[in-house]
Amino acid sequence: MLKFAIKNLFIKMVQTILIVLSIMASSAVAILSYNVSNQISDGLTSNAQYYSLIVGPSGSSTQLAMNTMYFTDDPLGTIPYAVKTELEADSRVKSAIPFAMADQYNGYRMVGTTTDYLEGKELKSGAMFDNTTVFEVVVGYTVAKTCSLKIGDSIYTSHSEGEEHHTPFKVVGILDRTYSSFDNICFTQLRSIWEVHEHEHEEGEEHEHEEEHEHEDMNEMVCAILVKAKNPGVAMQLKDEFTKIASYTVEGETKQYSIQAIEPMSIMRNVLEDTDQNQYIIYGLTVVVVLMNILVISVVTLLNMKASEKEIKLMRLIGISMGKINLIYLIQNAIIGLFSVVLAFGLSRLGLLAMGTYALSKGVVLNGSVIYFPEIILLVGVFIINILPTLIWTLVQSRKDGLK
Amino acid sequence: MIEIKGLAKKFKNELVINYKDYKFEDNKKYILLGASGCGKSTLLNMMSGIISPTRGQVFIDGKEITSESQHAKDSFRIKNIGYIFQDFKLIEEMTIMDNINVLRIEGIDTSGTAELLKKLGMYNKRNKKIKELSGGEKQRVAIVRALVKNPDIILADEPTGNLNFSIGETVIKELTEVSKAKTLIVVSHDERLTKYFDVVINMNGMTSSYEEETKNA
Repeated sequence: MLKFAIKNLFIKMVQTILIVLSIMASSAVAILSYNVSNQISDGLTSNAQYYSLIVGPSGSSTQLAMNTMYFTDDPLGTIPYAVKTELEADSRVKSAIPFAMADQYNGYRMVGTTTDYLEGKELKSGAMFDNTTVFEVVVGYTVAKTCSLKIGDSIYTSHSEGEEHHTPFKVVGILDRTYSSFDNICFTQLRSIWEVHEHEHEEGEEHEHEEEHEHEDMNEMVCAILVKAKNPGVAMQLKDEFTKIASYTVEGETKQYSIQAIEPMSIMRNVLEDTDQNQYIIYGLTVVVVLMNILVISVVTLLNMKASEKEIKLMRLIGISMGKINLIYLIQNAIIGLFSVVLAFGLSRLGLLAMGTYALSKGVVLNGSVIYFPEIILLVGVFIINILPTLIWTLVQSRKDGLK
Repeated sequence: MIEIKGLAKKFKNELVINYKDYKFEDNKKYILLGASGCGKSTLLNMMSGIISPTRGQVFIDGKEITSESQHAKDSFRIKNIGYIFQDFKLIEEMTIMDNINVLRIEGIDTSGTAELLKKLGMYNKRNKKIKELSGGEKQRVAIVRALVKNPDIILADEPTGNLNFSIGETVIKELTEVSKAKTLIVVSHDERLTKYFDVVINMNGMTSSYEEETKNA
């Protein structure tokens, strides 16, 4: 019976392909949009909840949060490292983690921080960099894979698009895959970021004046400080106190710095509100596409079944029961439905992969292996919708026997 | 043996065809002659359970089939009766083999297909689609489909109706040849074919008293 049903589908190849394509496209769009929006939401909120505050230079709070937690965009600027010392001295603060983003290796950004920043991250091989030793680097999974790095290798970083620094970093660890933006970053001790530039000066390298100035600015400076408060209730107080214009002395020079403190969760909620609105638009469009498809599938199926009446009558005449005939058509539509949803799922994963590269450049990691339960529900729903018209048709046909 | 008793069929246009009681004996070849509308095909359809009589009964080997459910009649027909239709009733887009293998849906053994196709000279075309065949070839395929299940009864409704006489005669020769030791009842309007049959029944009142006595439409 299955063989006959498959042969029958091959005979109606064009209709079959059109139905499969139609179901596949709409279902893939529906689950892809659901998956992407949820992965973005999950990704944005998962990191944000670790920190009570982020302290950094004044400017766009969203840029500060996104740069510090997802390595997107450029840092807003720098603030003195002394702010970190000040925060650590505060009895309300549990920990303050410095964050500096300066150079890059093969397009992958270097982040100077402490091992606390990588708390909870597993190593695939090697060890964490030593907080007291400079020029050790732990690379993300994708960095190691793409650049074929192994423990003990030396890498040379460069400033922006400029020439490579002459001081090598030693790869001491490779992070296990996190399916997050951490996979694309090289992490080192904060002082390494400062000292790599000092070394250049000592070696008497020729630098453009502007670049030299920039490098000097990095010394004893950080892009941000991630703060964990002892008590969530004090975050607001700290936020108010550390949003200020204050004087700090860096390398003997006293300057005024405009500093802001932000609550990452609150920033992310704002970002998500915008995302949610887009999400609702996507959901709405998806529902319209799915409804249109239900209509198309129903009409095409019923027209197909109508066109098959002669064939059904023929089978009835040679003695094949109505039950078996109905079963053949149900099997046919089940095959169409199954193919469609499997292909839709495959297409959505390909979509995730294709979007992943672009999303990564924006700091958003889309993991193709993440499946949400509602996606499965949607695919099962599409499968049922696909066989429903046939089921109704066969029930009607069973009542008015083809022979009569 | 097929026996009809008090059989009558009333149509929507109020036309009533009455049939005389009759017994079709085993292993004999019958030809039912008569003009269109005299009730030849209706008789075959009632005997095979495709349609139900308005009254009367059909017994096959002593078993009454007219009172059975449609499902039971279908089941009986596909297993025990080889029915050959005037317009072949083949799925045009499918191959010869597919059209015969369609019987497998109801669990019919079609392992004898190759042998029958060879007998009728169709084996080399077994993978051709029906739409690519001539009328004579299509009728041969219909014969193979009817005979492959090795039924004791073969009913053929105008098997030469869509063929020219020469081809039709060849088909009848082949049909009678492959239906040896079976009960074959053929409906036709072509009297030239009678020589191939054991019993000729004229339902038009031309050559057989059977028709005159039984048909009171």
